Amino acid sequence: MNLKKSITIAIILIITAISSWELYWRSQGYKPNIEDDTALWAVQRGKVDHASSNDVVLFGSSRVLFDFQLNAWENETGIRPIQLATAGASPLPGFRDLVENTKFNGTVIVGVTPGLFFSTTYPMASPWSRIQSRVTYFYDRTYAQRINNMLSIPLQSNFAFLRADDEEWSDDLNLKSLVSRIKIGNRTNSQLPPFYRFSDIDLDRNVKMSDRTAKDTAFANTIIKVWGFFGSTAPPPDKASTMAFFMEDVQNFIDRGGNLILVRCPSSGGVRIGENMALPRSEFWDVLTSKANVKSYHFEDYEQLKHFDCPEWSHLSASDATKFTTELAKIMKNDGALTNLKTD
Amino acid sequence: MLFNSLSFIVFLVIVMAFYYSKFFDWTSKKRMLLFASYLFYGLWNPPLILLLWISTMVDWVSGNKLAKEEDPINRKLWLLLSMSVNLGFLAFFKYGNFLLENFTAMVNAVDIYYHPQKMDILLPMGISFYTFQTMSYTIDIYNKKIKPANTFLDFALYVTFFPQLVAGPIVRAKDLIEQFYEPKKATINQFIWGIFLLTLGLFQKVVMADTLLSDTSDSVFNSGKILNIWDAWSGVLAFSGQIFFDFAGYSTCAIGIALMLGIILPDNFRYPYASLGFSDLWKRWHISLSSWLKDYLYIPLGGNQHGITRMYAALMITMLLGGLWHGAAWTFMVWGGLHGTYLILERLQRQYLPFKITASNGIFLALLTYTCVNITWVFFRAKDFITAKNMIASMFFMNPEGDKVLGSFDIVKVFIVIGILFLCHWFMRNTSVKEVSEKTSPILLGVLWAVMLFLITIAQGSGEQFIYFQF
Repeated sequence: MNLKKSITIAIILIITAISSWELYWRSQGYKPNIEDDTALWAVQRGKVDHASSNDVVLFGSSRVLFDFQLNAWENETGIRPIQLATAGASPLPGFRDLVENTKFNGTVIVGVTPGLFFSTTYPMASPWSRIQSRVTYFYDRTYAQRINNMLSIPLQSNFAFLRADDEEWSDDLNLKSLVSRIKIGNRTNSQLPPFYRFSDIDLDRNVKMSDRTAKDTAFANTIIKVWGFFGSTAPPPDKASTMAFFMEDVQNFIDRGGNLILVRCPSSGGVRIGENMALPRSEFWDVLTSKANVKSYHFEDYEQLKHFDCPEWSHLSASDATKFTTELAKIMKNDGALTNLKTD
Repeated sequence: MLFNSLSFIVFLVIVMAFYYSKFFDWTSKKRMLLFASYLFYGLWNPPLILLLWISTMVDWVSGNKLAKEEDPINRKLWLLLSMSVNLGFLAFFKYGNFLLENFTAMVNAVDIYYHPQKMDILLPMGISFYTFQTMSYTIDIYNKKIKPANTFLDFALYVTFFPQLVAGPIVRAKDLIEQFYEPKKATINQFIWGIFLLTLGLFQKVVMADTLLSDTSDSVFNSGKILNIWDAWSGVLAFSGQIFFDFAGYSTCAIGIALMLGIILPDNFRYPYASLGFSDLWKRWHISLSSWLKDYLYIPLGGNQHGITRMYAALMITMLLGGLWHGAAWTFMVWGGLHGTYLILERLQRQYLPFKITASNGIFLALLTYTCVNITWVFFRAKDFITAKNMIASMFFMNPEGDKVLGSFDIVKVFIVIGILFLCHWFMRNTSVKEVSEKTSPILLGVLWAVMLFLITIAQGSGEQFIYFQF
């Protein structure tokens, strides 16, 4: 057994294979990408523990991720928000965690995507468990996991083939995802269309819609099909439980001097029609804002915000998101909703 | 810290750099290894190092006292102290809630109102492994089979040695402590072979268990549905492969890492799915645990020295407790009970229906054994008896209209992977990776090594915990 020879061959081959693999995927248009995983969320969540009353924390679902551009907000207000929104999730468990487990009394902006906000309080349901699992991870994460995250960031930033997200996108490049794309027939009668990654994220979880989504209508249509699937399979909303749950935290947060703001981000096309039918504003948003009795902003109510068009009906393109964020921040400032602005 | 993580790669490189540095003598290197082992454990949950320290201190003191003490009563008391502390930790941390739940159910059954709150107890990683390891040290000294470790450092390192700290192999004191007495250094071939074993172990864990099998197993066992026969069998077979690759992968990594340090750890798996019967299985599956249970439970219970009835009772008690060792749930007891029953039936067969195992009937016997093992895995994996009952019913054609939760490709994938696994075990049952590698050309070995490395890299394991860490 000539192990020196074997290991030499193995090293040469693995370097060649990985280089070829990386070049192949780059040639297919893939580029390195940070993953929006639990570890990245936990790093941002950790910032809340040291935040002052001047700080701003964002909760919500993917619309808050896409539509709130952190640079634009910082340019307008002087404060860079802490982004804790989670795609496909209710904001309620995250806000509960902030109210119960921190002393934060700055500004919290909660994005209200009706289909998710009013969805459920059942712990095993996806909109709940997606964010709750992140909260749990934040408290349970080990030092080894923190180190793993730190070490993985430079790799994620430099290698396109390390494209694998908790979301399990249809175009992830890890082995499990590649194998799962092999299909023989449709034994389980699954109707879920392929769901491709349509955004990029950076280290402080600032998300931008990818150029391809904004410009390639055929690609945007693949995302629209997914919204159609989710819309047609979603259970009915649970307004009573979600409102009751949220109001408890609203009261506690306001009582300790916190500044809560509710925002309804734009949607368009079929998603907007579906939302208006299933969760009409008068029965959901208006009732919520009236009960919460805090500053609230619905995109339909402002000339600067109502004309945006979402390429895949649910989120703003990167350039529109910057405009939306800037205009919304101006409206809030003029309204006196943001009380602790940095003026320098 | 997990072997399949980036932090471990960095950790291992630093440890190796210090270990092979010329600036340290052997004692300093052992101190470094001990510190590294505590760091390895502490990066998971630092306060729980205290348990390791207490266990180490108690067994060190007990061992020394037992070696000097001649009075039988005092010797028994020292042994009792060690056993009480070790089993006490295990009882509290691992079985606390289980005992409380069952006590509550019992008193409620006789109409006594008692509803205590569930205790919020964190299970310390690897407690079942290091507890059994330290207990074997004290019991062996009590039985005058070994002498106490030369120094406290040697003993502390024996308890804490990071490659096998959290999931074994459970190494006996005589096999490991004595290796710490003299300076150890891997030869270049040992070092490279250690890296190969580490690669092989990671391949088993990251590619085979986590990438190819775990999702299928999880989809089936977590579906909460009454399943179609194909889905039920696919889920069980996937789990049988997952748990083998996961645990054997860990053991292979541990053996490889230790070898890189020049330390030899014993084999823990020898192609168990090609076992010819259940006595054979337990000589091939988790060997370090089964030999521990044999030496410290089955034989003290009487073994085969006190008649057939007592032997069967000893076998059943050993397997039931072996099941309970894996987890605090009745499903694990049933798993152990089934294995105990298989072992008893096998002995009855040998006595009343003996037959010769030949090359032609051997593979069918191995397949029959593996099939029976799969039935036990249902109870091991299912979270409750209802799930287990439904799975068993589906596997035996009793739910013809059962739900389909797996795609056709998933089923084909599982049957191919498990088929290959079974055949590999069959053809490897009388040899070893080392022997096969020695007969393989270095170029082919290098290519296979690179393929494993490539698949590990593109699998990008997300740091899935090893299944046996929870036991």
